[in-house]
Amino acid sequence: MSAATPLEDFINYKADTGMQCGNYSIDLPELQEDENYRFHFDATACVGCRCCEVACNEQNNNPADIKWRRVGESEGGVFPEVTQLFNSMSCNHCIDPACLIGCPTNSYIKIEETGIVIHDDPSCIGCQYCTWNCPYGVPTFHEERSIVTKCHMCHERLDEGQSPACVQACPSGAIEIEVFKPKEWLESEIDENGNMPHLVDARVTNATTRYTLPEHMPDVLTAADDHHLKPSHSEMPLVFMTVLTQISLGAFLGLFLGDLLSISGKTSPSWIMALIVMLPAALGLPLSALHLGRPLKAMTAMKNIKTSWLSREALALGVFTGLMSVNVVLYFFEMSAYIRVFFEALTLGVGVYGIYAQGMIYQIVARPSWNRKSTLLKFFGVSYIGLFLLAFALLVQGENEAALPLMSLALLCALAQGFFTYEDKRSLNDNGTYTTELGKTKRLYEEFFSLHQNIRLGTFIIGAILLPLLVTVMVNSSFAVGLLGFSIILMSVSEFTDRFLFYATVVPLNMAGGFFVGKQRH
Amino acid sequence: MIQKIKDFLGVDIKEEKYKLSDDPVFGRISDEKKPDKWVLSTCGYCGVGCGLYIGVKDGKAVYTKGNPKHDVNMGTLCPKGLSEHQMINADNRILSPLMKKDGKHEKVSWDDAYREVSNKFKEVTRKHGSKAIGVISTGQLLTEEFYTLGKFVQLGLRTNNYDGNTTLCMASAVMGYKQSLGSDGPVGCYEDFEEADVITLIGANISDNHPILKLHLAKNKKKPKIIVIDPRFSKTAQMADIFVPIKARTDLALINGLCYIILEQGWENTEYISKHTNGFGLLKKHLQDYPPQEVSNITGIEVKVLYELARSIAGADAALTAWTMGVNQSYMGTDTVSAINNLHLITGQIGRPGAAPFSITGQCNAMGTRETGFTSSLPGYRNFGDERAAKEYADIVKIPQEWVPTERGYKYAEIIDAIERGEIKALWIVATNPLVSFVNQDKLRAALAKLELLVVQDAFYSDTAEIADVVFAAGTWGEKEGVYTNSERRCNRANKAVEPAGEAKSDFDIVVELSGYFQNVRENLFPSWKKPEDAFNEWKKVSKGQLCDYSGITYEMLEEKGGVQWPCNEQNPEGSPRLYTDDIPFRTKDAKANLLPLEWIPLQEPLSQKFPVILNTGRTVEQWHTRTKTKTIDILNDLAPEAWVDINPDDASRLQVKSGDRIALSSVRGRIEDVVVRVTQTVAPGNVFVPFHFNEQLINTLTSSSFCPKSGEPNYKQTAIQLHSEKVPAGLKLSEKEVTGLLEHQKIEQEFYIKNTQNIEA
Repeated sequence: MSAATPLEDFINYKADTGMQCGNYSIDLPELQEDENYRFHFDATACVGCRCCEVACNEQNNNPADIKWRRVGESEGGVFPEVTQLFNSMSCNHCIDPACLIGCPTNSYIKIEETGIVIHDDPSCIGCQYCTWNCPYGVPTFHEERSIVTKCHMCHERLDEGQSPACVQACPSGAIEIEVFKPKEWLESEIDENGNMPHLVDARVTNATTRYTLPEHMPDVLTAADDHHLKPSHSEMPLVFMTVLTQISLGAFLGLFLGDLLSISGKTSPSWIMALIVMLPAALGLPLSALHLGRPLKAMTAMKNIKTSWLSREALALGVFTGLMSVNVVLYFFEMSAYIRVFFEALTLGVGVYGIYAQGMIYQIVARPSWNRKSTLLKFFGVSYIGLFLLAFALLVQGENEAALPLMSLALLCALAQGFFTYEDKRSLNDNGTYTTELGKTKRLYEEFFSLHQNIRLGTFIIGAILLPLLVTVMVNSSFAVGLLGFSIILMSVSEFTDRFLFYATVVPLNMAGGFFVGKQRH
Repeated sequence: MIQKIKDFLGVDIKEEKYKLSDDPVFGRISDEKKPDKWVLSTCGYCGVGCGLYIGVKDGKAVYTKGNPKHDVNMGTLCPKGLSEHQMINADNRILSPLMKKDGKHEKVSWDDAYREVSNKFKEVTRKHGSKAIGVISTGQLLTEEFYTLGKFVQLGLRTNNYDGNTTLCMASAVMGYKQSLGSDGPVGCYEDFEEADVITLIGANISDNHPILKLHLAKNKKKPKIIVIDPRFSKTAQMADIFVPIKARTDLALINGLCYIILEQGWENTEYISKHTNGFGLLKKHLQDYPPQEVSNITGIEVKVLYELARSIAGADAALTAWTMGVNQSYMGTDTVSAINNLHLITGQIGRPGAAPFSITGQCNAMGTRETGFTSSLPGYRNFGDERAAKEYADIVKIPQEWVPTERGYKYAEIIDAIERGEIKALWIVATNPLVSFVNQDKLRAALAKLELLVVQDAFYSDTAEIADVVFAAGTWGEKEGVYTNSERRCNRANKAVEPAGEAKSDFDIVVELSGYFQNVRENLFPSWKKPEDAFNEWKKVSKGQLCDYSGITYEMLEEKGGVQWPCNEQNPEGSPRLYTDDIPFRTKDAKANLLPLEWIPLQEPLSQKFPVILNTGRTVEQWHTRTKTKTIDILNDLAPEAWVDINPDDASRLQVKSGDRIALSSVRGRIEDVVVRVTQTVAPGNVFVPFHFNEQLINTLTSSSFCPKSGEPNYKQTAIQLHSEKVPAGLKLSEKEVTGLLEHQKIEQEFYIKNTQNIEA
């Protein structure tokens, strides 16, 4: 019978819905120069049927676990005076997109004419920094494709006057495309109509989605997935990369101080020591490529020095490690201490900037437990291990006298790291905008990782404080070298564990999710 | 290995697979799934009846797109519809006929399967009579298939012990319409949602169950007042202007109360009453038992709200009342439907745009089986026992009149009872899965174990298919052709897009071929029938002149117009949007509707100290029925992969549970474990809700064998249960006071007040 099917071109057909929904084509006024497209979501119309979610996946051929559009649910009030609030959200096509700003490979493009934020697939290296940066959890890593993907407002359909899949599918007309003036939106409208419960303040990224909310909203709305609590990805390659580069920085600082003292007549460090201080970074940096979806393209991570802290970190730490290896050569050929000290000061500067940039990667609104001063302090704090490492090298070479002051400095630094760690835990209780997320981070520490925390604490007290103290006391004993070596292993375990916890306990900002599926992000 | 390394290195980002491509019909769509052809069809899930196109690529269904020219859905589809093509390719499809040997299913030929079943049927008939064969069908087949199946069962197998799973969902609407209006047949249409000034949704959660109806509500330009009557604050309640949190199963009292107020206030439409109804006097007298305060005590709804509801409905230019299972699945479902009819008749809110008592159907073709299927009536809404109707039917199809059954056989639940008694020995189940969907599961399983033969005909290897002696592998939606009729009497065309999976056959072919194994049956009943259209042509003749008149419909017309609403005949060549307009009289003898005195009855299984909680069951938008069709579709199943129990925070704190914890539920009939808790204000204290789709947390283990005496529909929606948490294993205590006595208490208080004031005055 299909021959008799009255099949025609539905792109030029208008169903009588009186709304954008149902139709495969869309009528939008031509964009003026100061105008863009945006989504309008009418929460008073949405019934939470999830047509939009399925339509989006069908349109884009995405598998069930890659959701560009998600429907979240929340509830408030007391029976029978109840409010159920649904939020169907894809990308908010921000005026200042956090994904775009942070992307190290310039893989995000905000199309000037339409304001649509699209993702350039071929240049993406799958570093997933955008998935950390977006406070809405919009970009999603597509395992099968090794890259990140996201909603592009069906711009290829819009360009042809065709409706985006979600708009077409919504039986309530709750999702629409609108033309708006970004300048006016930013002036004040955004504060009145740009916010939705459970979402970050629209001003943070200057999101463009316009929301229509019920007139009477309850004071408290509980997300349907409020009971969900699961650790984040542990990012093991990054655990090792960050800790190892930070150890190198500390060790290099020790080397530099030693070299500085050698000018005033003390024994000069050897090329082996210069090599040892470089090794952790040389080992750690390439490791970081393993967390990429496309490790072969790791080098392109330096593309966006202009706005991305990730690019800056990659470049600075790459240069730092390079300079450290040149430094080994300077020692090997016994260059004059003055040249060396000058060169080392430069290298140290680059290294400090590199670790600073590394820390800044995590100073992002979307991840409240990272976005604290203690993150930066702890990153630098790890450098105490580097000092111990250098002291260990000195002990091995029998330079006990030189080792002792270095040990004392290292111990002081370790104590500081202990304080930073305490402060990091304590400040989770501070009241602020993101107490929900920070509260969940705290619960993760308590409910999932108490063993890890005990390991962290035990190995730290024994490895970073008690044993080194013992070594200082009996520095001339034959056990000293072995004991310090053992304590360096313990303190490394301690810091690796702490860094693992750093990644695993982060609770990102996102939308309210679904009862079973949560936020539909991995 | 190399592929693994390549994947790890992210060499291929699969741009080809994810690129878009231009389709001339629907615009830019996924290139990988770009179809070779689009086939017009109608959705095979629920009774809304959305028009759609199935995209076919290399003989495989790859896309489902809403038909914008179709009046029902205007291009939209619900999440199940949008992913419907995935259902055809599910891995739980039955690919060939199966027979149980040594407790295991083995693949057999169609001939073997037909031979086995026909021989057993003949043996049972010889030993115990033909009525020892029972048949339970569905609302999922095409109309042509229902007519063919019904004809074969009743006239070929000669058993009237034939019913459908439709008795589990809309039988009460059928019987309610019949006793009030003289015939079955939903009165209104979807356009009424656009035309009404007041829309009352009672026991209907359209947001989850019929989301596309929201389109018609959204299209209503009059800003209608929306009233939602439900014991649960469902997703639908969110759209209400007035939410009426009625106590469970007190709906009939509420409607009677509204009628009382309308008559008390003189808001009735006297002209309509006198011209079009019988029984007004009796009704008025009867309603004296339902004064507002009494109704308020029963329903838990304040008196002033009752007045507001009555005024809204009676005073509206056009008032629509739509309902589904909250009304139907009740011990007094039939009478509740009639009460709604009463309300609309006394206010004259019927037969005009926007004014109707409108039953929304559950399944894609429950209507088709109601009209043609030989279960609740003879084809064409002809009543069993009506001599003239039987003769008329026999003459049309050219068979001896004595073949036509003179009375209705056992209803669904009665068939199960008859199996238990040993009266029915062989059971043929078509496209339904009682092992999840029927009440009181332990009793059902014990009964089915007594059968000599259980035949299951299904497209999916369901829980029930697993225990069948013989399995017929059926084609499903998209693999066969015919028509579906939706809630608003709209007959829609469904075309075949792909070949049935494996060796499966369409239900039409299975029935016709099986009939060939019985002497002369095929020749007598299906002479020269080759394709479903042969059945459709006979059905058109059979329905001619009946209320459900299809005589003016052709397949071509259905495709061109996006469906046609019956009656469609010479008088109404374009079809009829609504019934009981000026030119369509009621189907009673004097063409007047019956106003009926209907009694509210308290719950059959009252709450007790041991079982102090009311269990309500229902659906969620992502799943379909017993999940045979949806559990393999990840995008749907992931969203609701298991059952949950909605509990009010008060009860949760008494049980010391929070969202995500797991508890057990028990009733007098059984216990189910490991149901995840969702703490929510959408249910009142003492009330819980559990979706019924799931076989692992089989909620129908708890529900009772309590049925509407008139329709046979189970009282699914209210069961007295207990909740058992790990910390409070004994569960909750009965806290709610009994309804009766409240009035007494208030009277005493009032007397006390009067006495006191008198004292002061003295």
